Amino acid sequence: MEPVAQTPSNTPLSQTQMPAAQPQTPVADTGRKVLCIEDEHFIAELYARALGKAGYTVNIFSDGVKGLAEAQTNEYDIILLDLMIPNLTGIEILQALRDPAKTVHLKAKIIITTNLEQREDVRAAIEKQADGYLVKAELTPRELATFVDTIK
Amino acid sequence: MDHFSQIAKQARNRLFWSLAVQNLLLLIIVFGLLNFTPLPVEIVVGIALTAGLLYAAGLAKAVTAYTLQPLKAIWELILHISPGPTNVASPDTNKLQLGRELVVNLAGQIYQLTDIANRTAVMTRQEGNDLGRNFVANNLPVPFLVLDGEENIIFANPVLSQYIGIPVAELIGKNVYMVMDMAFPSQDTFDTWLKNAKQKSATATGSWERVRLNVRDNHPTRLFDLATYYNRGNTEKNETMMVLFDHTKQYSQDDQAVSFIALSVHELRTPLTLLRGYIEVFEEELSTNNDPELINFMEKMSATAQQLTAFVNNILNVARVDDDQMQLKLQEESWPTVLEAALANLDLRAKVRGITLERTIAADLPTIGADRLSVTEVINNLIDNAIKYSNGTTNIKVESHLTKEGLVETTVQDFGLGISSSIMPNLFTKFYRDHRNRAQIGGTGLGLYLSKAIVTAHGGNMWVRSREGSGSTFGFTLQPFDKLAEAAKAQGDDEMIRGAHGWIKNHSLYRR
Repeated sequence: MEPVAQTPSNTPLSQTQMPAAQPQTPVADTGRKVLCIEDEHFIAELYARALGKAGYTVNIFSDGVKGLAEAQTNEYDIILLDLMIPNLTGIEILQALRDPAKTVHLKAKIIITTNLEQREDVRAAIEKQADGYLVKAELTPRELATFVDTIK
Repeated sequence: MDHFSQIAKQARNRLFWSLAVQNLLLLIIVFGLLNFTPLPVEIVVGIALTAGLLYAAGLAKAVTAYTLQPLKAIWELILHISPGPTNVASPDTNKLQLGRELVVNLAGQIYQLTDIANRTAVMTRQEGNDLGRNFVANNLPVPFLVLDGEENIIFANPVLSQYIGIPVAELIGKNVYMVMDMAFPSQDTFDTWLKNAKQKSATATGSWERVRLNVRDNHPTRLFDLATYYNRGNTEKNETMMVLFDHTKQYSQDDQAVSFIALSVHELRTPLTLLRGYIEVFEEELSTNNDPELINFMEKMSATAQQLTAFVNNILNVARVDDDQMQLKLQEESWPTVLEAALANLDLRAKVRGITLERTIAADLPTIGADRLSVTEVINNLIDNAIKYSNGTTNIKVESHLTKEGLVETTVQDFGLGISSSIMPNLFTKFYRDHRNRAQIGGTGLGLYLSKAIVTAHGGNMWVRSREGSGSTFGFTLQPFDKLAEAAKAQGDDEMIRGAHGWIKNHSLYRR
């Protein structure tokens, strides 16, 4: 999986706040920060847009190692974690974030976002460690934002 | 010279000399009487004949007794050593006049044979009691274990121990269900077989394919065929024998087929996620636009993307059902909530086809035990079908109520094409579609197959009623949570997890 050409994977892609041109809303800033570790650039972009409109600040990383480093360095409220990402799998990141030896105090809630079907037992194991588990194809970006709202 | 010729010679000599003596005696009698008495010849001959006959009688008796001596001795010997209740003393060979050597020799051999027989019997008994010392059992190159009447393990060979990663010493005496967490592809489990055998048969054999063994800790899952033999009340208590034939490699290769599907599904879902995402963006942007046609197109696009998502899930779930990989977690749910949520998602799909979903949901339904995602798929499939076969009619009725039996029944009724009675029996079969409509109406024939499997796994039933030309009604039942929880409790299940073909776990241990 190659990083998308116009977004070098080491820089946060966007801190998307939708322009106020939107008639129906921009929702008030929630003050909450979302880290989106997702290598499919278009999906990340859509999530950032929807979450931005819902009042979140979103940072995107498409590389596993860098995403993990970011999660360990800066404080987030929510981490959206894809399972199939380059350099480190989502599961490895999840484990590292849950390992007190590797990650000191994680405030963020971790939501797994994947289109990969796991064996039931594997999925159950992942769900146990995460705060949420979503199949990306099952919901639109706006529905994702609504879901994130429920995670406190 | 062998014993037989010796005996024959001895007997021959005896007989010869006895007869010689008889003849000599007769001669003496005849001569003596004729020469020294005045008796007439006739009387003398008469006396001689009588004496001869008496002698012959005595001789016959003596010869018989004499020649039968060895036979009698052997007879007594056999009776003496035989295990029956006879109380015969062993023969005194010193008194034997004929064939003593033969008898002594034979007696020696018989004693030897008896000894071997006794020792073999003792040995067999020992080995039976202590399989651990049995060469064959220990060196059988396949995993092998033996259970007693209580289903406790009384023997396990080293290969088995290695196979399941538990030392032999830790296995002996344990209940088999405690150490071997086996899952079977159908309701025909080892546990039900054994129970049945114990009730009905003196001996029975059983075999299963694709048994899955969930082993403790990090030991890899094993897949194998299982062959068993049951033998009731045998004295050694080796009541049930189990032999495992490992097929982990082959069967997990088959499982790779599922991974292939899973991978394909992943590849399908990614563009779908994007499509749905962008459609949503357009919907938002277009919401200020008042062109009804554009809005209608957007809705159609959105509905189509949803339909595709549902189909992708169908593929995945059918693969799971076929591979016995489907696991449903039944939880307490409010049925009106689940049903309404599912229908709300389907409204758009109906709307773009000009159809309204009309609901009549009874207010007093008990909570049900259901796997939310899966029952939602059942609703999806039934509504999608109803939409497909509506044939221009504009109404689909969804109704839910409590049956007399206390089950929650839900029906989906359309007023379209209907189904000919000739094809009804095949309706829930995989890939089956009404051939007359195949050209006009798309579909894969997976939906009903999957729905039925899901409903069955919930402990419910699915049925259809239809008349050609006036539409079809599909119905299914779900169990109230209380009932399921009660049944699960009786089964000793704290979590209600079900496979698509019913109970898959071997729960005997907890059921006693």
